[in-house]
This record gives sequence, structure tokens and C-alpha cells, in this order.
Amino acid sequence: MIASAVGNVTTFKVAVHTTNGRGFTPEELAERCANKIIAISDDANPAIRAQARAFREELLKTLVFYMREAVKSDRTTVYNVLTDAGQTELAQYIRRL
Amino acid sequence: MAFTGNFMCTSFKKELLYGAHDFDSSSGDTFKIALYTSSATLTAATTAYSATNEVSGTNYVAGGGALTPVDPTSSGTTALLDFVDETWSTATITARGALIYNTTPNTTSIALTNPAVIVLDFGGDKTSTAGDFTVVFPTADSSNAIIRIA
Repeated sequence: MIASAVGNVTTFKVAVHTTNGRGFTPEELAERCANKIIAISDDANPAIRAQARAFREELLKTLVFYMREAVKSDRTTVYNVLTDAGQTELAQYIRRL
Repeated sequence: MAFTGNFMCTSFKKELLYGAHDFDSSSGDTFKIALYTSSATLTAATTAYSATNEVSGTNYVAGGGALTPVDPTSSGTTALLDFVDETWSTATITARGALIYNTTPNTTSIALTNPAVIVLDFGGDKTSTAGDFTVVFPTADSSNAIIRIA
């Protein structure tokens, strides 16, 4: 007779991140993004762990840079939408953010 | 204390065996996440979404937000599932926990309305004030993913 067993695992843990009076910064979002892309076990081989952490730091810098670029680019889009709608004062305010 | 930990709902496990839940990212069911106050009583015995003690606040709509599932995958002998992080923007919310539930289950073999999937315990009240409120799901691997069958 062949028997099989299926178990389920419920040791999951979610995190909740909140802000007050602002949105998340590129640095905060990049940190979360890097955690999604690369998870480094404390039990990993020390040499591999060090290499993975170095890679993660470089990845983080790249993510922050391009997130800032995305924010700036989106503000350009918003600026133009507002300008086209005749809201020049508001557009200037967005541009100066 | 109303929340006593994270739970994969017992009814959900049974419903999996009835084929009631489809987590395909493009053609699967619609899953939502609802937030609750510390007065809510959600446990493994929770079977369905309820509006009782659900949070209310600026830019939070009753019933919660729709989740985007990532296609189920496997790692070694463990099958696993992830969701894209859920954010309520420019929101004023205080929540102690959450319930993930299915709004469009397959009811061919079992009668269901908004069946519960997972209870999430935030460990304490979490508050955003005119800001972002984000539920960050764990790393999608065989040790941490939100739903795993080992």
C-alpha cells in the first residue's frame, strides 16, 4: 500500500508599513523591493551570504535611483497635465516639489 | 484580546479539496483583504468575510481591497503562493488585523459566500494618518510564503 501525507504550513508573517502625512519614500520602497527580490538566510554559507549582501546593497542603490527618476518623471507628466488644464500655478507648485 | 495569531482558516483547507479556490493570476478567483479593529474576533474557525468590526476610515471602502495573486509555484516539495503587497493610499486607518477572502469561489460542489482564506494578526494596532497603509506579504519561498502546502 502506498500512503502519502500532505501538510500545510501556517508559520507565515506579514508586515504592515504605514506613513503619516506623506507617502513612502523611494528609499523605503526600494528596501521592500529588494527584500522581495533577494532573501538572504542567516544559515547560508558565510561566503555566499557576504556575496549576497553585497549584491543586495548594489541592487538597493539602483532601485532607489530609478524610483527617484520615476517620481521626477511622473511629476513632469502631472505638471504638463495641469498646465494643459490651465492650472499653471498648481503646475508650478508640483514642479517645485 | 481578539486576534491570537495568523491562521490558515480550517474551512479554507476543506474547500481546497472541493476545488473551490483558483489562485491563477489572470483567470482565477477574486481575492480581497479586509482590515479589522482590535474588537474583531478572527481565528482559524472563521469561515467567511463579515463587516462586523471592520475598520472604517478615509479612503478605506468596506470589504477591503482586491488582491493580486502571483501564480502558484513550487520549491522543492513545497507548493507556494504569494500576493502583491496591498496599499491604501492617502488613508487614515487604524487596524489590528486582516482577513483574506474569496469573493468569487467555485460553488459547483459546495455552497460558499465570501469564504475566508487566511487571518492575519498584525501584532498590534497599525495606523496611517493621511498616508499610506501597506500590507507587505512575506518572501515567496518555501519557508516564508503566505500560503504553502508542504
